[in-house]
Amino acid sequence: MPSRRYMHPKFAVVGHPNKGKSSIVSTLAFDDAVQISDTPGSTTKKQSFPLTVDGKILYELFDTPGFQRARRVLAWLEKHDVPADKKHEVVQAFINEHKEDERFQDEIELLEPIMAGAGIIYVVDGSKPYGEEYEAEMEILRWTGQPSMALINLIGDTNYVEEWKRALGHYFKMVRVFNPMEADFIQHLNLLESMAQLNEEWIVPVKASIILFKQYHEQMFEQSASSITQLVHHSLSHIEQLSLTHEDATAEEREEIQEKYQMQLRTYELESQKKIEKIWNHDHLQKVQESLLFEGMDLFSKESASIFGLTRKELLITGATGGAVTGAGIDLLFGGSTLLLGSAIGALVGGSGVFFGFNELSDIKVLGQNLGKKYLEIGPMKNLNFPYILLNRALYHASEVASRSHALRSVAKFEMGKSFTERWMDESTRKSLEKFHSKFRSGDEVKEEERKEYESLILTALKNIID
Amino acid sequence: MNLKTYINLYELVKTHKGTREENRALGLEYEKIKNEPVKQLEVWTKKHTPTLGKPLLSDTFSTYLYGMTLTLVIIAFFLGFFSGVGLLSYSGHEPVNVIYYMAMVVLLPLATMTLTLFSMFRANASQSLLVHISPAFWMEKMLRFLPQKAQSSLQELKINPLLSNWLIIKRSQLLALMFSLGLLVALLGMVITKDIAFAWSTTLQVSPNEFHSLLHTLAFAWRDIFPWAVPSVELIEQSQYFRLGEKLDTQMIQNASKLGEWWKFLAFATLFYAILLRFGMWILSMFGFKKALKRSLLSLEGASILLREMNEPIITTSATVEKKNVVPQGSHTMQEVEDLDGSYDRTLGWAMSSDELRVLNDSMQVITPMAFDVGGANSLDEDSEIISKCQGEVLFYVKSWEPPTMDFIDFLEDLTRVADKVILAPVGTVEDAYLPKIKELEMWGRKLQQISSDKVWLKRSSVKTLSRESLNAES
Ligand SMILES: Nc1nc2c(ncn2[C@@H]2O[C@H](COP(=O)(O)OP(=O)(O)O)[C@@H](O)[C@H]2O)c(=O)[nH]1
Ligand SMILES: [Mg+2]
Repeated sequence: MPSRRYMHPKFAVVGHPNKGKSSIVSTLAFDDAVQISDTPGSTTKKQSFPLTVDGKILYELFDTPGFQRARRVLAWLEKHDVPADKKHEVVQAFINEHKEDERFQDEIELLEPIMAGAGIIYVVDGSKPYGEEYEAEMEILRWTGQPSMALINLIGDTNYVEEWKRALGHYFKMVRVFNPMEADFIQHLNLLESMAQLNEEWIVPVKASIILFKQYHEQMFEQSASSITQLVHHSLSHIEQLSLTHEDATAEEREEIQEKYQMQLRTYELESQKKIEKIWNHDHLQKVQESLLFEGMDLFSKESASIFGLTRKELLITGATGGAVTGAGIDLLFGGSTLLLGSAIGALVGGSGVFFGFNELSDIKVLGQNLGKKYLEIGPMKNLNFPYILLNRALYHASEVASRSHALRSVAKFEMGKSFTERWMDESTRKSLEKFHSKFRSGDEVKEEERKEYESLILTALKNIID
Repeated sequence: MNLKTYINLYELVKTHKGTREENRALGLEYEKIKNEPVKQLEVWTKKHTPTLGKPLLSDTFSTYLYGMTLTLVIIAFFLGFFSGVGLLSYSGHEPVNVIYYMAMVVLLPLATMTLTLFSMFRANASQSLLVHISPAFWMEKMLRFLPQKAQSSLQELKINPLLSNWLIIKRSQLLALMFSLGLLVALLGMVITKDIAFAWSTTLQVSPNEFHSLLHTLAFAWRDIFPWAVPSVELIEQSQYFRLGEKLDTQMIQNASKLGEWWKFLAFATLFYAILLRFGMWILSMFGFKKALKRSLLSLEGASILLREMNEPIITTSATVEKKNVVPQGSHTMQEVEDLDGSYDRTLGWAMSSDELRVLNDSMQVITPMAFDVGGANSLDEDSEIISKCQGEVLFYVKSWEPPTMDFIDFLEDLTRVADKVILAPVGTVEDAYLPKIKELEMWGRKLQQISSDKVWLKRSSVKTLSRESLNAES
């Protein structure tokens, strides 16, 4: 055995079937894809859940199948009368000898990581009474000689924790209560800290993992804030266009564009939600929620001729300077920007037909194809209340997802209470937000630093809600 | 870093973002530039540009921009040249008024440069209306010469307004410079090929001395090095003229050869005001453009995510491979009994003490000649011995909350070899008055489907039990 080579800490979560091993792993690993089932024996293979940073493993967690034939295994072990320092070799011999034996596949799967150096995390359900049938399992674990701790999970409402603690105390130095469905991030880190105590050599790497976990958690918050910012920006500045078949827009066309517009806003929201679920590793989340409604919100609609592909406002500006446009070209030649001077020298070019379009939107758009064609346009969002409705929903969703246990497999019911707004918004937040909302609404370019500022507002709000 | 980088990145972030891992790997590879986001974006863009379809939009755009600039540069030069020629044309009738020319090479540049400075300032500060003028029409005109495909892709290109402002400012400086060069060439050409009688004339009351001091001031930049390029008071006096006179001043005619001396001053004024200063503005605009390019690069949507992916460590916690653990599904339909009989040949309790077993039998009002506790702390041999004592109908209590392990299944299979019928009765905890929960019963049902023995029966709860159970579930 290459004894002094560095090995990252490993932990094998073991126990009786159906006591929440997979649930605990799921929570610790932020993984909602772990199979959790109320049918025992649903985990048949061990599965590794490494915490990695840039591909480097900091520690590794193993979900294992439950003990199935503990008494038989123990009987085999006890046939070998050896001193304590040789017991783990007997366990290894058992594994080697029964590799092909179908009866012991579950035991082998769960013993393998332990024999490879993993610390033992023995899971029991503290809401059910203790029974002697657990003793064989605990005895086998003792044979491995690996450091171990017990975790009492509470699946039901009844409480037999004291009874369990007394029994477990005979086998484990450390006994902790941990509820995977309800544990928050702090409890999660505390558990990691306890796990580090199993082996002196693990304290440093697990401490590093804890720091990393915090960083990871922070990343998730930041990415969520960034995603929500993008959602608000996109939704507020979105413009929907529809080419017209005739001079005037028909009622159907008005209806159509309105629907398209609302559909797009809903899509933005759903996409953002998906992104946030992904950020928090809740890709498999199933949810029921009320969709974004637009009733009672008078959305802004207008019709504009796209002679130059400009919006009505832009056209107005263009119109106001109408006579001077020829000169504008010259004006630019000299780098000056006043229309007046440009016009004065305009004569020099002799009306060469130079025309500069005014583009109030945030881009230079090369125009041409839709020259003179009419289209219907809707957006950007003029409703002042809309961004707050959107934000409320987004923050509510994000906070629910962020604090949801990865062990839950039930359908999430998202029902935002009426008072939700109060949990994160005060007058000063609203004022700061409004400044950005009007900027988003204007369709002007949002500068990097402005976006960052908005993101940090959202970040603070999100954290306030979760704490 | 140049405009091409910007356009390439602009295109890339729309289509090809690279995987998180790739981006992080690149970030780690170039760890030295970790705090220089612009350089990081450049490196990233360089790496991913090959994935863009040819011809590159950036190439098309540059070619187009280059062509357009070249055309405009030529036009500007000739515009300057012909303006110069026009201004310096000496009809032989009237002398050439230097004030016109000076306005063109001193006043106009100064005025436009001031405005340029202003617009430079505004270009950064906000989207001012002043700099918000785009050469849309020109572009469109030029676009007609491009192939259809390039046209449509250019139409999609939305350059950051800040950047386009600076693009225009920068090019405007170049064009103005060309215009001024045209003027200078025209001046030199005219001076060489013609004799020009320069004079000055104004309606305003300006004495030659005052005019001289004005010119002296204007010549501040070169008067000490090239004193001969500043007109003397004498020359100024001699070259003043009034159009009211029938013919040219006799004094002027006498000094005709001297009047040509003006060209030196005019050439220097052109060189300094229209060319040198403008050149400075051009350099300045290049700096401004570079800065705008950096800013636009950073504010491209998607750039911040890219940077984050390059700089943040990838932390993963989930399983490396998503393994599907398939639950073996039995097809055997479970046989069930609703009520227990009054007596059984044997009763067994799985992992229960003999006391518990007795209590259970009492509470279920079951009479039996022999009751055994099996499983639990028993050895396998002890269990085998108990099995050998079993026969007939067996009532088998199990803890409803403990899922059956294979250890139990093994025992059950052995038991069915000797018994005629085995009734499995899951019982709840003492607190629940031995009543199992529905979920637990269902779990037992599912698990027992995997053993296909006709001898095994599962005891269902009675209706009464069910209603109590549902009460429990709600509480
Ligand atoms: N209410 C509740 N249910 C739990 C908890 N932990 C596990 N469960 C449920 O117990 C069952 C078995 O869980 P699982 O993690 O698959 O157990 P394993 O067989 O030990 O891996 C599942 O139905 C879980 O939903 C808990 O803390 N609270
Ligand atoms: Mg499991």
